[in-house]
Amino acid sequence: MTASPRLSLRDRIVRERYLQRFSWAMQDYPKNARVTRELRTELTATAAEVGMARAVADLGRPRVLADGYLAELGRPVPRWGTGGVWGGLAVAALLFLSLAYAAGTLDTLEAMGGGTVEHTTFGAVTTYTSTADAISVGTEATWRLLVLYLVVFLVPYLLGARVWRAWARPARDRDVARV
Amino acid sequence: MSDTQLLKGVLPMLVLAVLTERESYGYELVTRLQDAGLDDMSAGTVYPVLNRLERDGLVASRLVASSAGPARKYYVPTPDGTAELARAAQAWAALGRTAAALLGRAGTLTTASPETTPAEEAS
Repeated sequence: MTASPRLSLRDRIVRERYLQRFSWAMQDYPKNARVTRELRTELTATAAEVGMARAVADLGRPRVLADGYLAELGRPVPRWGTGGVWGGLAVAALLFLSLAYAAGTLDTLEAMGGGTVEHTTFGAVTTYTSTADAISVGTEATWRLLVLYLVVFLVPYLLGARVWRAWARPARDRDVARV
Repeated sequence: MSDTQLLKGVLPMLVLAVLTERESYGYELVTRLQDAGLDDMSAGTVYPVLNRLERDGLVASRLVASSAGPARKYYVPTPDGTAELARAAQAWAALGRTAAALLGRAGTLTTASPETTPAEEAS
C-alpha cells in the first residue's frame, strides 16, 4: 500500500528524496514514522492524479511542512537529535583535550631523556611512558571517570534537547486552565 | 483570502465544514478548499491540520481502494468534530458581528457580511 507499481524509478527517487528530508525534519515529532508512512501513501496516490512533480510541489519545502506538523502539536517538543549532537561534541572535545594532554606529556618526557610518569585524575591513574624502546599511555577505568564522561555528555545533551519541553502542556490546556 | 495568520486560525473550522458536506481524501479536500475561493491553499498547509484533527478525534478516516493507485484515506467528521464545528461557527459568527460593528463605526466596512460564517460559505 505504500508504493504503487506504476511509479517510475524517477518518481520513486523524487518521492523518497522528499520523504527523507521530511522525516529528518520531523525527527522530534512523536510517532513521526507513522506520519511519514501516511505521507508516502498520500503522495503516491496524488501522483496518480497530478503527477509526482506537482504532488511534491504542492507540499512545499519539507522543512516548512514539518514545521506545520510541529506547530499543530500546540506545544514545543524536545529536540533529542540536537541534544545528541551537543553531547557528542562535548565528549569529543574532552577526548581531544585528553589526547592533547597525553601528547604534550610524552613530548616533555622525551625532551627530558625519557621515563615514566603517573597522573591521577578522578581516581584514575594514567601512566605515560616514553623511552627509547616504547611510547605508551595507559589509563585504568574508574567509576568516577565514567561519571565524569557521563556528566560531560548528559548536561549538553539535556540542554541541547531542551528537555524541559517534555513537560510542557499543550497551549489549548493552558488556555483552559487560565479560564 | 490571502491573510496567512487569519486563515491559520480558521482553517480547522473550514476543513470540518467541507468534510461535513462530503467526506474527502487529503488532496481532494485541498482542491475543494481552492474551488471554494481559497486559491492559495496547498496540501502542505492542509495535511498538518488534518493530522491534528484526526489526532484530536475530530475527524475519522477510512481507507477506500482506488483503481488509479494505492488506497486513499477518506476523512469524515466525528460527532465530536460536528460539535466542534458548531461551536467554532458560533464563535466565528460572534467575532464577525463584533468586527463588522467596529469596522462599520470606523467607516471601513464595505462588503463583509457579519451574518455569514465561513462554514456557511463553504456549504
